[in-house]
Amino acid sequence: MHKIIRKLLGKFNIITASMATILLISVTGMGTYVLASGTSEFSQTINVGTLATDIVDDSYVTVGSPGITMNSADFSFACQTATSTFGTATEQIYVQNPDAADGGWTLTIAATATTTVWDSSGTDFDFNDNDGTCGADGADPDSLGGQMTIDASAATLAVGACSSCVTTDVNKGASDAFEQGTTDDITLLTGAIASDDIGDWTLQGVSISQTIPGEQPAASDYTISLILSIATI
Amino acid sequence: MAIFDYKKRQSVWSYVVASIVLIGIFSLIDSILAIGYGGIGGRPAYPRSDNPRTESIFVHTLEPGSVQEEGVLILNNTDEQKTLLVYAVDSVVSSGGVFACQQLSESKKDVGNWINLAKSEVTLDSGTNEIIPFTITVPSNAGVGEQNGCIVIQEKKQEEVQTGVNISFRTGLRVLITIPGEIVRDLEIIGFDIELLDDGRRLFQPSVRNLGNVSIDADVQIVTRFFNLNYAQHGGKFPVLRNETSDWNFELQKPFWGGWYQSSFAIEYEKGLDIEIGKETGNEKIRLEGLSIWFFSTPKPIALAIELVILFLIGFSGFLFWFSKKQNKWIKENWVEYKVKTGEDINSLAGRFNVSWKLLAKTNKIKPPYALKKGQKIKTPPASK
Repeated sequence: MHKIIRKLLGKFNIITASMATILLISVTGMGTYVLASGTSEFSQTINVGTLATDIVDDSYVTVGSPGITMNSADFSFACQTATSTFGTATEQIYVQNPDAADGGWTLTIAATATTTVWDSSGTDFDFNDNDGTCGADGADPDSLGGQMTIDASAATLAVGACSSCVTTDVNKGASDAFEQGTTDDITLLTGAIASDDIGDWTLQGVSISQTIPGEQPAASDYTISLILSIATI
Repeated sequence: MAIFDYKKRQSVWSYVVASIVLIGIFSLIDSILAIGYGGIGGRPAYPRSDNPRTESIFVHTLEPGSVQEEGVLILNNTDEQKTLLVYAVDSVVSSGGVFACQQLSESKKDVGNWINLAKSEVTLDSGTNEIIPFTITVPSNAGVGEQNGCIVIQEKKQEEVQTGVNISFRTGLRVLITIPGEIVRDLEIIGFDIELLDDGRRLFQPSVRNLGNVSIDADVQIVTRFFNLNYAQHGGKFPVLRNETSDWNFELQKPFWGGWYQSSFAIEYEKGLDIEIGKETGNEKIRLEGLSIWFFSTPKPIALAIELVILFLIGFSGFLFWFSKKQNKWIKENWVEYKVKTGEDINSLAGRFNVSWKLLAKTNKIKPPYALKKGQKIKTPPASK
């Protein structure tokens, strides 16, 4: 009889310790807590969300200084094309809609100004010149050639951290080239009205190509600033 | 007994200590759980209950010369304090006829110019928000129909320039102003194409033009049929901006089974002129039918193997059926009556007439144990000469 009671008591101690541990972990692990008052009230705030876009890594953590490196090109007397991919496994294009755009949304990319160029300490070249001939200067006010084409149509669209979300009603943009005054913004994604009201999505493998005029001086510091815009519609 | 008392005391003390610890935690801590979606941005501060769309965009019908007071809720749901730029711009049409917001560097001529924000910059601690009031002043010469602009929220920070393409981000809220007058709501189908991609996927590319002066939410529907059964459906409700052509890309994965598929394109939109975007009126819908396109898809390797096996089985069955018919005809036309003699059985007769005993049994409907009686009349092949 004593043996049974001793065993039971032993188990009670284990149960007590386990419960206390679980409670402690759940209380301390649930979130940020503040020593504030002597009351025993819990309060919970769910902040109103906002439609947002970002570049995140494979754990959905914001990438500090996201960028796109174009494939290197050698000096050439003829016009040539440099290519790259926007959106990779470690720098994913990310859209989150936490019930902030029930009527749909659009994700577009543009230069910070239509007069932007591929800037370097030497000779620049253009990104939005519809030249007809590769790399030749077109009709826009500057005297630089070059055109950038962005193609999201064959990119890979996937749901993000939201496991119950779907890519249905999220539409990828077609291939298009920047042309000053005509195509200043290129569509990457469109969320239809019926797309998930609460959802997040990633996009990888957007193709970028850039024509480089012939005889463009060799330099390693060509830069351009693009802006990723998400808008409620 | 002493052990029992000791254990009992230990158990009681365990409860007491655990209870004190828990009570301490519960009483001393006012735990605040802050669940927030990351990012910076905003949303309309004063959505209207009669139009759910106003929770995400600003929608107003305003007479020329009128002034509307509004507010935008600016949010910082990141883990850091942020200084945010808040500015109004005109809208711009992105590729594919999609709504977008013009850049801050571009001059404002339309709705972007009508908006006057009380603040152009706001610093918010992590997880906080602030309402910035603004007014919309419609010029007296504003044109009839829909006019669009944006309120944009963008982080103010020193750009870290690195070689290649530098990326920054912003969130825009559409500001949709309708100027009353002669409203035109009309869509037309421009085209429908199907593009085959390298990996066997297909892109459906329908396009629609808005002939009116207000945007229309168009319900785009693409139905793909296989053997007259619905195989896949694509589409969704997308706004088509005034005087713009919208096109979309819908992706069909390479079908498992090969064969001919038919894809049809149609759109539907609500009939009526007094429709505010975002409000469901229950009005009758206008349906426009576009093209139907047939395309052939090669099967996936596994499907091809299955299809070949099925084809072989069908072919072999056909051959057996044909052979059976031919055999029956031969039997009917050529076999003659034969009277079984003493000592003959089905095996000996099969050997004598050079046919299988099974065929003899089947033709003469002889059942197991296949015994034959002397004098029994059966059909057999004609005796060889």
